[in-house]
Amino acid sequence: MSFIAESPPLGRVVATERRPNTPHEFHFWTALDSPVGIGTIVRVEGTVPVNGQIPQVYGVVVEGLSYTDLESPLHDVLGHDGSPSTASLAATERAEIRLYSAAVLRQLPEEPLQPVPMGHVFLATTEDIAVALRMDAYLNGETPTGIPIGVYRAGGTDAPIYVDADFLLGPEAAHLNITGVSGLATKTSAIEWIMSSIFTHFPKHKGSVAAVCFNVKGPDLCFLDQPGEIDAADLALYQACGVTPEPFASVQYFAPFKFDGFSLNTLRSNESLLDNVSPLTWGLKEVLQYAEVLLNKDDVDAKADALIDFIRERVVDREFSDPDLLGNRHYTVRSFADLEAWFKDILGGIERSNRESWRTHHVATIRKVRNRLSNISTRCAGLVTDGGDVSDLPFGAFRDRTVYVVDVAALEEDAQDLIFARIVTRLREHLEKRDLGVNHVIVFVDELNKYAPGDGPDTYVRKMLLDLAERGRYLGLVLFGAQQFRSQVHRRVVGNSGTALYGRMDGDELATPGYAVLSPAVKTKLATLAKGQLMIRHPHFTQPIFVRFPRPAILRGRDGAERFPQANDVPLDVAVLRTLRGFEPAITLAWVQDAIGIREDDEVIRARNAVVRERPADVRKFFLAQLRPIVTARSADRPAAIPIRSGPADDPYGF
Amino acid sequence: MDGATLEAIRVGSPEAARLSAAAVVEDATAAAHRVEAPWRPAFAAFLDGTQASRVIRYESGVPIVHGTVGAVIRQRQDRRLTTWAHETGTALYVPRRHLSRPTNLAVDRLGMTVVDITATLPEAEIAPQHPAALLDVAVHAVERDRERLEQRLAEQWCSERHDPLFVDGSISGSPRVASAACAVGVVKSHRLLYADGAALRVVVDLAQGQRSSVLRVAPPSSRRTPVWSWYLRLRETTGHDPMWGLVRVEVALTDVSDPATVSRRADTVSAWILAEATPLSLPDARWHTMVYGIRDCEEFLHAIR
Repeated sequence: MSFIAESPPLGRVVATERRPNTPHEFHFWTALDSPVGIGTIVRVEGTVPVNGQIPQVYGVVVEGLSYTDLESPLHDVLGHDGSPSTASLAATERAEIRLYSAAVLRQLPEEPLQPVPMGHVFLATTEDIAVALRMDAYLNGETPTGIPIGVYRAGGTDAPIYVDADFLLGPEAAHLNITGVSGLATKTSAIEWIMSSIFTHFPKHKGSVAAVCFNVKGPDLCFLDQPGEIDAADLALYQACGVTPEPFASVQYFAPFKFDGFSLNTLRSNESLLDNVSPLTWGLKEVLQYAEVLLNKDDVDAKADALIDFIRERVVDREFSDPDLLGNRHYTVRSFADLEAWFKDILGGIERSNRESWRTHHVATIRKVRNRLSNISTRCAGLVTDGGDVSDLPFGAFRDRTVYVVDVAALEEDAQDLIFARIVTRLREHLEKRDLGVNHVIVFVDELNKYAPGDGPDTYVRKMLLDLAERGRYLGLVLFGAQQFRSQVHRRVVGNSGTALYGRMDGDELATPGYAVLSPAVKTKLATLAKGQLMIRHPHFTQPIFVRFPRPAILRGRDGAERFPQANDVPLDVAVLRTLRGFEPAITLAWVQDAIGIREDDEVIRARNAVVRERPADVRKFFLAQLRPIVTARSADRPAAIPIRSGPADDPYGF
Repeated sequence: MDGATLEAIRVGSPEAARLSAAAVVEDATAAAHRVEAPWRPAFAAFLDGTQASRVIRYESGVPIVHGTVGAVIRQRQDRRLTTWAHETGTALYVPRRHLSRPTNLAVDRLGMTVVDITATLPEAEIAPQHPAALLDVAVHAVERDRERLEQRLAEQWCSERHDPLFVDGSISGSPRVASAACAVGVVKSHRLLYADGAALRVVVDLAQGQRSSVLRVAPPSSRRTPVWSWYLRLRETTGHDPMWGLVRVEVALTDVSDPATVSRRADTVSAWILAEATPLSLPDARWHTMVYGIRDCEEFLHAIR
């Protein structure tokens, strides 16, 4: 909304030889009480027609100066006898100027490109802003692609700012990067808000969209489906952007187990929220493909790599035999436990036959690979199972406008890396084959400076993120990354982000070369940005723009953790009960205890996991079917005692 | 037009420094009076004018002068100054009788206002003149035009408003202004001192915040109106010449039968002026006598010139 239509000018363009106007920058002064500030968008109306058209120039204020006719500060000291308290008694305020510099956003006509002419300066109206930011190109027409990202506010003008979906989610450009200091609830909140906006406004003609969010710390993303409080100001922003203030309608959570193998390793473990929480567990087959993620490069040399390839291609999930070494034994390796048994027999066979190598693989290499691979299920316990149980994201059945949250917050770094690598790779594979279930996937990764650092070792995860940043837009695989220090993220990752958002920034970070293009005033504003404000760069905007965004209508992580406390670790029977109740609420603890009986934990967990994986119609029957039958106890007949043969009568040793 | 103005290079004969006696109306003899604090500002506006003259051509040694004049009233609201009214004018100041006919025709064809500076001269002075003398005449003609603008604005203020108006210079040139209660003239230059003998000593010895007794000043020119006047010291003089920070104040005559009224008026107006001592008008060289409102007027006129 704007009330500025036909309003009087608020400034005049000025230029001097020392401070001339250029095609990209101009200067103007305003009254002392004008609503202009850093980030304000203004329109200059020229006075002399060019090619029959009065030039219109749009600019955003990037610098401001204020000074009086005082030639030396000493004059003011003298004027008040060195006493600041008498300054307020001066009869007249000195003549004072507010002089602003603005960076040109757009000139009309665009040719010939000339220095900004002298003229009146007006506060930009909503319509002016659409023209200035070239939003008119994608907000109008038969297939608009605008997605509101916030509201520009200045001097009574509240104008929603739209980014172009073609440049946010591909194929023209893609990816979004947000940076800002921690603790202001800006980065995560902004991402949540933008995802809400995308889910509301993503154009139908562009297909479907889902999001995969990695929750890397605390309870940040653990309550996306729970409503949170917003105030009237936020509501107004929602209305301006045409987004309904409500939590995400469809959210699926995934989290590995803890070391015990049956308690979910997530802050969203409250029983009342478990209906959309699924375990994330992988077996040997799922992990072996990404062994590179977990194995130290120094350990896995070319020889070890060849053996791992051999195991992956010839052993895992296939019938394997080697009559020469193993006789007539046959192996079908499907789990880490199977693999360990296979290694044991192979090494035993080599020792027995007194060889130094087997199928060109030296025994030392075999021992090393055995050691490293067997170790994975221990290092990633809870995620990687010995038994090979798999519970995974629904690749191939992704649903439109659904958020898939993978909670890796409580995991070790190795496990986190494995999860990133596998999930993103699988997403890419499915999008390449066009069988993921949706056309576009947003991948949200926080703490990018940890996972894709600008320096340090070239890890698998960093390579994967680089690949995603450079090639993802063609597939519809879009990276939304967040970090505290943009300067510490790999340049190609941030450089490929078509859209960049900046929350409140740290002064040291702003001093790095990446921010040299910003004026000191813009840097100052960035260093003092309030909650809910962002600076945005987008391919259509020739200059950064400041916007406000509403607080997400989602229960904040910290509040959620208080309202839905994390479930205490429970015994296996209670854990099984919680899981099974998700499928059949009538199941009781007594039934579970009766069903489990005296069985080993591993067997019970396997049965529980099978239920989760298969989601059978008759849960009780299916669960029981997974358990090995227990032979009924019966008393055995006592065999008749055989009398001890008596010794010979003449036994000399008899007594 | 570039280059220094005739005013800046001191063309125009300076008035001779002299003393002139004036009748003391407040005391039996001239005396110094302390203006009691607090000094509170009361001026609602400030009036000043500027002029700039430049020779644009010499025709056989006869100068043709381009003159620009302007005057402004800057009104004070919430301690900020804005323009209440202003007037500007430009003209060519030419001694027509010394110019050839073709040159006079060429001057007319320029489409500018042309002021014949020889029109009012006595016949005796029409004879060929030293070029510098003609420049003096031209500059004085420009000065008269500037004073006319100032007086017109001051009269406009006094007819429409009754709030105190700070006028830079004498108010005696306009009978309407010189008799208006709202107008206060403040004269900064003292080539002519209205004091002699003991009165002169009182004036030069005035300390900061002191004023002299009120005088009745009747300028010798018949075109000027008598006013009450007194000297006022705005700033400490230690280390400076006797005229440092010294201004002469002019207000309209009131009932002389009540000296107490005269004293009160002088004290009140003096306190108003002393309250304008800050902010300083630096870097203007006349800052010790020029109040900030007048400097603001000059800056305004300089900006729109």
